[in-house]
Amino acid sequence: MAELIKFSKRQTQSLATAQVEKREQYLAFTLGGETFAMDIRSIREVIQFGGITEVPLMPPFIRGVINLRGSVVPVIDLFVRFGRPACAVAHRTCTVILELAQGDSTAELGVMVDNVSEVLSIAASEVEPAPAFGSDIRAEFIAGVAKVGERFVILLDVNHVLSVDEMAALVG
Amino acid sequence: MDLDQAKQTYIIEARELLDAMEEALLTVEETSDRSEAINAMFRAIHTIKGSAGLFGLDGIVRFAHTVESVLDRVRSQTLELTADLIGLVLGCHDHLALLIAGIQSEADPAPEVVAAGEQFLAQLAPYLGGGLAKAAPAGHASKASVPASGEAPGRDCWHLSLRFGRDVLRNGMDPLSFVRYLATLGEIVHLTSLFGQFPERDAFDPEACQLGQEIELDSPAERATLEDVFEFVRDDSQIRIIPPHAKVDDYIRLIQELPEEDRFLGEILVAGGCLTRRELEEALKLQRSEAGEEGAVPVRRLGAIVIQEHAVPPPVVAAALEKQKTFQDRQAQELRVVKVSAEKLDRLVDLVGELVIAGASAHAKAILAQGGQPHAAALLEATLTVNELVEEIRDNALSLRMVQIGETFNRFRRIVRDVSLELGKAIELEIHGADTELDKTIVEKLADPLMHIVRNAIDHGIEPVEVRRARSKPESGTLSLSARHESGSIIIEVSDDGGGLNKDRILAKAIERGLVKAGASLSDQEIINLIFEPGFSTADAVSNLSGRGVGMDVVRRNIDELRGTIEVETEQGLGTTLRMRLPLTLAIIDGFRVEAAGASYVVPLDVVIECLDLGPFLESEQNHLINLRGEVLPFLRLREVFQIPGEVPARERVVVIQHGELRAGIVVDRLLGEFQTVIKPMGRLFRRAKGIGGSTILGTGEVALILDVAQMVQLATERQVPDRKRTPILA
Repeated sequence: MAELIKFSKRQTQSLATAQVEKREQYLAFTLGGETFAMDIRSIREVIQFGGITEVPLMPPFIRGVINLRGSVVPVIDLFVRFGRPACAVAHRTCTVILELAQGDSTAELGVMVDNVSEVLSIAASEVEPAPAFGSDIRAEFIAGVAKVGERFVILLDVNHVLSVDEMAALVG
Repeated sequence: MDLDQAKQTYIIEARELLDAMEEALLTVEETSDRSEAINAMFRAIHTIKGSAGLFGLDGIVRFAHTVESVLDRVRSQTLELTADLIGLVLGCHDHLALLIAGIQSEADPAPEVVAAGEQFLAQLAPYLGGGLAKAAPAGHASKASVPASGEAPGRDCWHLSLRFGRDVLRNGMDPLSFVRYLATLGEIVHLTSLFGQFPERDAFDPEACQLGQEIELDSPAERATLEDVFEFVRDDSQIRIIPPHAKVDDYIRLIQELPEEDRFLGEILVAGGCLTRRELEEALKLQRSEAGEEGAVPVRRLGAIVIQEHAVPPPVVAAALEKQKTFQDRQAQELRVVKVSAEKLDRLVDLVGELVIAGASAHAKAILAQGGQPHAAALLEATLTVNELVEEIRDNALSLRMVQIGETFNRFRRIVRDVSLELGKAIELEIHGADTELDKTIVEKLADPLMHIVRNAIDHGIEPVEVRRARSKPESGTLSLSARHESGSIIIEVSDDGGGLNKDRILAKAIERGLVKAGASLSDQEIINLIFEPGFSTADAVSNLSGRGVGMDVVRRNIDELRGTIEVETEQGLGTTLRMRLPLTLAIIDGFRVEAAGASYVVPLDVVIECLDLGPFLESEQNHLINLRGEVLPFLRLREVFQIPGEVPARERVVVIQHGELRAGIVVDRLLGEFQTVIKPMGRLFRRAKGIGGSTILGTGEVALILDVAQMVQLATERQVPDRKRTPILA
């Protein structure tokens, strides 16, 4: 009986530490050899890349639109958005579908990535702020950098990277 | 019954009735036969009051009752419906709308609302008249068949049975005075005084009235008139008035001829004049108290009560019951029109859209299966039949969402009236094509831009009376709203006969705002189109109506979102017309599929005139012209407009399109034929995409883009202008 109480006490303690050390989950993916991650809460699903229809006269980072179970969803080439050359489509290329709050509505968006690797659980304490220089990706796109094992993972601020207002302003 | 739900229904109904009432109020001045409009407003207010009573909404009942009483006097032509009265009733209408909106929140109305209500009631009071019904001169006693012999039983007379209360004398009333007064209304044929309750000598009180009278009165007066005679004693006396036999026939005839659509027996009897309102209220009170006392015991019906207590002859009640039944029958018939929530309809249209796509997909697969399978041909035929049915379902589903534009137009009557009064301008509103139908979603999204345009026209377009007089124009300006169908689109025009747009001022303003460089040479049309630029407003004075800087750019954006176009035609000093061209529906259209560089595109079928091979019709490759049986048409290549690289096939095709005034050819690689196109929104990211009107999903599951031909032509023209000045692509 005493043991049981002790056990449950310990359990409470571990629960308490878990609350202090809140760990967020991130989806890690690779893009041009680098590893990036996005907060998993805005991700709806990951599908195989394909069936894309190009929309003419669009900036190059808009790859086109796809049919996602009856909805027409735009697909963004993240690499071009970062100012790099367009992604080459390979066997493992995926489209990550995100649902983002934009103003008072939500918008569905697809993001083209080379390969989805894993789901990372990262504590807030493990995240360093974005470096002020050294990266060629715009600073406001980066929410932070996390060290996972021996690697550095760039955590993207999806609301900035995929701001519909900002991207729409580049159209036309 | 779910009371909340019933209440919701009441709120919806009341709003509709209020709309009807408003429309009637606003049109009544113009119509020659006013009675219909007056009846409409009376009916509306009457029903609102009646239904409010069911929910115990006493505030509404009280307010509506007063308005109804005034309108009743208008209806019976004892009161004239002046412009002032219309204004007042409009105010009352707004107040009622406020009260009805308040039901939903279930809070007590705010003190200022209550105060406003009292103020309206006070304003209405002078219109109520003395409150007493006038002695009706129309009372034509139908006693012709009865010989005026003077013998009481033989004559067809009113029978008055009076039992005065004990305090009548103490209250200063003399029963004899009633008899005298009755004698002025007709001939008292017979009078019997009764002393049946006379007490023993010891109990006798000389001041107490013990008198009862039975009177036979030959009079052409109406029941209400006779009742009014006893107004001051009826509270503590028993007064029964039994009509003459001939009158019974009158009542029955009257009831049968009643124009009102009353659902209550009591109301029918009152309207027929065989029961006064006070008697009805008493009978209803009696019915209620009996119900309260006896509980489970069946309550006497109202008909039985009025027969027993108020001496309404049974045949009259029977006629009234008959009338009530006809009304109920008709109401049952009206129920065949079903009200459906807009959400359900939208869901249905969405599903039909999915069905169209699924049907196309099945058909595409059936074509692929040709040759191999034993039942392939039958399968193909089956999918064709299914698709035909789907097409019919699509048309039916879409037509469910079609509404007439008239209701939207009618809302402007009020605005034009109020605003022109406020600005001291005289403006008449003309409405044409109110029965033109278009998709409900479009109508809804059209309301705001239309409001803006109309207010602009009133505020800036039509000049004040003095200016108009100086320009020798009619003092009263005309604003016209019109709608019509034209080659698969709907055209909505707002025109005024005001001052027109001042091009110099527009240009000056645009330069001041930095929209154009000073010294730029612009065509007249280009200058006028500057009013659609963001942040442009020409109003010299900012009024509370318009001129707040959010102006025509918002209007154009709204119209763009509807896949429509807007253009302005203006003549200085003569007026301005804003013309909007809108698609009939936003959901599903008939499309024509074409292919260029391996991708499918859809052209709305209603702009397609014909299709041909480019080769034989090519007039000039350099100038992009084709010769269509003698008519020279400009053409554009889809590949070029969209800057798609790649080899052009040897044999190219042309789709000849007509969009409004515009006529042109669009050159593509292949023609793929007609296609039911479910329009899928592309989202905000593509809001500024040029030449693309939307997207759709093909049978294969691929996304195809819908072309916006007007924008494509514009795009092609813009690109040419810097190179060489050429005839603009306009036929």
